[in-house]
Amino acid sequence: MTRLNSSASVEKKRQEILNSKDQKKLYVTICSGTACHASRSDEVFQAFVDEIERKGLREKVDIGRTGCHGFCERGTIVNVFPKDICYLQVKAEDVPEIVSKTLIENEIVERLLYEDSNGQKIIHENDIPFYKRQNRTVFGNNRLIDPQNIDSYIALGGYTALTKVLFEMTPEQVLEEVKKANLRGRGGGGFPAGIKWETTRNAPGEPKYVIVNADEGDPGAYMDRSLLEGNPHSVLEGLTIGAYAIGSHQGFIYVRQEYPIAVENLLVALEQAREYGLLGKNILGSGFDFDVKVHRGAGAFVSGESSALMTAIEGKAGEPRPKYIRTAVSGIWEKPSNLNNVETWATVPLIINKGAEWFSNIGTKGSKGTKIFSLVGKVNNTGLVEVPMGTTLRQVVYDIGGGIPKGKKFKAVQTGGPSGGVIPEEFLDLSIDFDELSNVGSMMGSGGMVVMDEDTCMVDTARYFLDFLAGESCGKCVPCREGIYQMLKILNRICQGEGREGDIELLEEISEVVKDFSLCALGRTAPNPVLSTIKYFRNEYEAHIYEKRCPAGVCKALISYYIDPEKCQGCTACLRNCPTGAITGGKGLVHIIDQEKCVKCGTCLEVCPPRFSAVTKLSGVSVPEPVPQGTKVIRKGDRKK
Amino acid sequence: MCGLTVKRIMARKKTKSAFVGIKMTSEQAELLDRLQRVLNSATKTEVLLKGLDLLGKLYPSTSIPPPWILLGEGETSPPVVTNRELAMLEAEARRYSTNVQQVRNKTKEVMKQMTQELSKTDRIVDKYKGDKSSLIQLLLELQRENHWLSEEMLKWVSQKMDIPLTQIYRVATFYKAFSLVPRGRHSISVCMGTACHVRGAPHLLDKVMETLKIRPGETTRDMRFSLETVNCLGCCALGPVMVVDGKYYSKPSTKEIEQIAASD
Amino acid sequence: MSEFSLIINGQKVKAREGMTILEAARGAGIEIPTLCYQEGLAPFGACRLCTVEIVKGQRSRLVASCVYPAEEGLVVKTESERVVKGRKLILELLLARAPNVQVLREYGMKYGVDLMKFDPEPTSCILCGLCVRYCAEEKKKNAIGFIGRGTERAVMFFPEIASEECPKCGECFAICPTGVLPSNYAINRVPHFTWPVNPFSGTYK
Repeated sequence: MTRLNSSASVEKKRQEILNSKDQKKLYVTICSGTACHASRSDEVFQAFVDEIERKGLREKVDIGRTGCHGFCERGTIVNVFPKDICYLQVKAEDVPEIVSKTLIENEIVERLLYEDSNGQKIIHENDIPFYKRQNRTVFGNNRLIDPQNIDSYIALGGYTALTKVLFEMTPEQVLEEVKKANLRGRGGGGFPAGIKWETTRNAPGEPKYVIVNADEGDPGAYMDRSLLEGNPHSVLEGLTIGAYAIGSHQGFIYVRQEYPIAVENLLVALEQAREYGLLGKNILGSGFDFDVKVHRGAGAFVSGESSALMTAIEGKAGEPRPKYIRTAVSGIWEKPSNLNNVETWATVPLIINKGAEWFSNIGTKGSKGTKIFSLVGKVNNTGLVEVPMGTTLRQVVYDIGGGIPKGKKFKAVQTGGPSGGVIPEEFLDLSIDFDELSNVGSMMGSGGMVVMDEDTCMVDTARYFLDFLAGESCGKCVPCREGIYQMLKILNRICQGEGREGDIELLEEISEVVKDFSLCALGRTAPNPVLSTIKYFRNEYEAHIYEKRCPAGVCKALISYYIDPEKCQGCTACLRNCPTGAITGGKGLVHIIDQEKCVKCGTCLEVCPPRFSAVTKLSGVSVPEPVPQGTKVIRKGDRKK
Repeated sequence: MCGLTVKRIMARKKTKSAFVGIKMTSEQAELLDRLQRVLNSATKTEVLLKGLDLLGKLYPSTSIPPPWILLGEGETSPPVVTNRELAMLEAEARRYSTNVQQVRNKTKEVMKQMTQELSKTDRIVDKYKGDKSSLIQLLLELQRENHWLSEEMLKWVSQKMDIPLTQIYRVATFYKAFSLVPRGRHSISVCMGTACHVRGAPHLLDKVMETLKIRPGETTRDMRFSLETVNCLGCCALGPVMVVDGKYYSKPSTKEIEQIAASD
Repeated sequence: MSEFSLIINGQKVKAREGMTILEAARGAGIEIPTLCYQEGLAPFGACRLCTVEIVKGQRSRLVASCVYPAEEGLVVKTESERVVKGRKLILELLLARAPNVQVLREYGMKYGVDLMKFDPEPTSCILCGLCVRYCAEEKKKNAIGFIGRGTERAVMFFPEIASEECPKCGECFAICPTGVLPSNYAINRVPHFTWPVNPFSGTYK
């Protein structure tokens, strides 16, 4: 690869790449994001390679991989260019048909297309309602980029922002632009990036460092992972621009070790960028030096906190430091260090290319631009969603997410991960905005959005988050270490049916102290899930404590499985599948669950044929006396008589 | 041994000294000398008798009389030093030395393994050229290579990188990625992220725990499987998810889990 | 060094640049309770007992006085309602772990704590880190260190170093606020490092 070393060379390279491509040649891309990978996209890829070889099409068809497209519910996603046909849920067995019908005969395999609610088939990926209703400025390029090939990024206009910055702007001008755009950090804090950059730039001390926080610890959030895996150069370009503005020559990318593909793609991207002269000494011949080191995390959520992260980069145990001395002034090895989230950095090239005004025209007064969310949980269209700030929760959950599956009722949407709270139905028309979300007791966080329905227990949700935080607390300060532990004990008791009078008040009392007295943001935001579930779903807590009832039917100690003798048809399905042999009965006889042996696994409910629906979950009431053994079932026909 | 006659055994060896009129090999003579000194015995005969006595006690089950000693009913071999008894002594000594040789080889093997391990550790440590801030990266590589961090490895790292041992253990015990106990050949991770939790991950974990009979963080007795929980693998659309050695399983059935547990 | 003044509990207190609120308060004879603070060692900010309420302009915040730098014109309240409430709960949480420690009981009496608010699960160590920090910063021997995380966090002597250094030193015993360190030393100082781990469960206890 030849080095690019002038202000014109990126554009020249881009023309070269576009010209060398035969735009009419068939090109098949297979999504290799993590979710599609889990749907065996590797097998699909190999199947294409084999089939194309078999049919002697190697000269006529190119095959490539892309990063995550975002529509993870329907993986593996395959695109065929130049016609831009999008096939969903492709399996290895489907490949021969695609090759023979689409690649050879130039026809479409209808059954693999997306079908909308009217039965209409949609051919192009961007026309699918899931995508159409989004504004995929940052994430959209994922479907067109091969993360291990820098040329695909340059072909789309990559590194033009860096060229502009290095040759046409001073560092102060770059700072001004980012400040004007009012880009707020996408990692959860929402702090204005431009101001942080300025503080770092003005702080005394050399060298200065810039850091990418790719620790993404919130369970349920995987936006940063998909950005890093699918479009690593967008992050690198943003980071280099930031380094130029701040006056830093050394960058760090801290990636959690649970993301091996992201690390691999990053290392490949760094190597290719260096070869092209887009990283390292004298970038593009501008005289600016900047290089990047990748640092892996080792499995600690708390190390994603910015001061803890910097301590980890120093090689020590990643514990947070008191924030009175800002890390922008005294960070890694007490030098000024600017830390931003992956998504924040990836947005920077767009701001430079399209201008701060363009950016600030999207979004609300307090929150500009777009935000990527991972929409997961009890929702039909699980995946990564990018919308402008100001979009309502209802639009995201229903219009894009497709609503709740199986016709269940919406209960709440949880945002902000373990630091956030639940937002109930009454706030569905809330605009997504940093301050709006905080005002209702939750927060934007890094972008996790978990949809919960009537079968989700709110007390169990609070308990789940506290359990997570108890395991991740560094344990240095007393309120977080002991406070979270005691709160978890209380919640465990409540979920086991041993809730006591005064438990809710005690939870609130401990929460207040943990919130105010903890050393770092983990402890200070730990009570949020508890406080917000108590605020909006106090009735569920009270049901658990006073009635020993779990309204959602989740807490095992508070539920019983019961076979309705009037509905049971004696098919023996539950009896055969019960892991503890707790069900007695026989063909044509009413089945009875022995409550002593039942472990509440729920298998009987799963296997009872829907047309009978004889198994029910009871909570808060005592199980009715069983009918005598050997009672015959009431045949459906008989009841009519 | 049984097929060989005493004469042929004796003929094979060189002889240097004589004892009670019997020719012995230099090793045998040396052994007797040493024994005499150790046992403080007056005569070599006494030593020999004592030796035979001890051997008899050491190898009670192997004192099958060789075919040339014919014992009558109720007769024990007479306490007279004969060529035959010497031959028996030699046979036992041979067997013993074979065992010693085996032990020596095994020790060599273990030592070789340990030096190999330490040199592997060394190679990884050398890569980081004494950069103390790369401790976590170094330990991650060691963990990946060996599937655990042994005491020797950590002490070695402490020495070579000049980092206090307390600091190394601080880091090694702070992060979940490191294991201070040996791990199984295969790793099973069950995702407990929020989305999977909402879709029934605890139920899946129960099923896995029941099948493997271990809890998260533990390893099966036969060292085949290690079970752990992780927080979000990033495939929330497929929840609940389980990963076995990098292969993803979405909503696995009890049967699938049992199949995996039964495989090697 | 420049001198300035801040207001603690309505009293004007002089301070020098680089001082923390705690140092300024102590200099003026104002008592703020601490557990993990020791003169001569870098402040740790772990026990949070020294938390005070500060008012800066319109906003009031709770900060750890052992770490927060004293500033010109800062208004500090060391015994405000919020502060006392928190101190009480912190002591109650600690008493569940170290029920018979004198200094905790003394503070407990002062703030009127409920000794039985939380079921006792004694570990006796309050993880103030004084022993660890003393050995690392003052003696520079690193014979004792933290291991683990969260409620599994513990303090441990490392026999390789401890067997050589501790017999001639033992100075950390006097610093330990709970008085439990000497027994910790006796139990864990074993010649062979038998890591107290269940080989099949991988947990430290």
